[in-house]
Amino acid sequence: MTEKEDTKTFFSRGIEETMDPLYGTALRLTRTGADAEDLVAETVTKAWSAIDTLQDRQRFRPWIFRILHNCFISNYRREAVRPRESAYEENDDGGLVALLNTQPDEFLIWWANPERQYFNNMLGSAIMAAIDDLPDAFRTTIILINVEGLTYDEAAEALGVPPGTVRSRMKRGRTLLQKALWQQARDAGFAGPTENSRHKA
Amino acid sequence: MNSDKESHSHDDIGCLAAIEAFYSYLDGELSNPKAIEDFEHHMGHCRSCFSRAEVERLLNERMRESGTSKAPEDLRDRVRRLMDEF
Repeated sequence: MTEKEDTKTFFSRGIEETMDPLYGTALRLTRTGADAEDLVAETVTKAWSAIDTLQDRQRFRPWIFRILHNCFISNYRREAVRPRESAYEENDDGGLVALLNTQPDEFLIWWANPERQYFNNMLGSAIMAAIDDLPDAFRTTIILINVEGLTYDEAAEALGVPPGTVRSRMKRGRTLLQKALWQQARDAGFAGPTENSRHKA
Repeated sequence: MNSDKESHSHDDIGCLAAIEAFYSYLDGELSNPKAIEDFEHHMGHCRSCFSRAEVERLLNERMRESGTSKAPEDLRDRVRRLMDEF
């Protein structure tokens, strides 16, 4: 087998193994099946032309996700209807406790004592809708880690950011997600204001 | 989050440290054995943090179940044709 054939065999296998998570991520990023398919096809083409930049074959997964993410940023992000970007600073690994301390009392009470029954009955589609409404940086990080199963290091490589930024985005993104779910719970009558929160307010 | 005296035994890391380690632990990113042991020890003693962690774990499961998608056959065929030309 020639070197090119070996590389092509490796590449084809890598694409085959990551096809579902690539498509799933593309679908959540672009929000339409047709755009997701185009994004994956473009990613595969760009990846093959950049195969020499893959230094370590063990890192194929973060490498291909990085190309997918870059393609999305270049060609699709501006066209998509985007929720507002986060006002949070991203250059630190801010503590979760400090972040929670900036949240409303009613949300903190819910965060500390979540309504288990509400979560038991919560539809996956409602959770995914809440994720779709998150600002891009948090949405993408949560999708890569919590949906597609990348490690924090792989996600950092895929997104081209330091691992500390991924940790920070996870804390903040998950807090924003909890806040969105808290709002859903309130709307459903599960998380109304308590005596305690009224007194604190 | 919790002022129960049982959650703050001699070698307990306490709720604030547990909260900081929450997502790292649940996402399998806590690698230091001592940190894992301390976190799990706290979870064993603090009902509030344990309850919080269970909900986060449930949320993780739901996200994985609901968020993953299978690539359509059309796309697989398209990509195979693309790769045939490489």
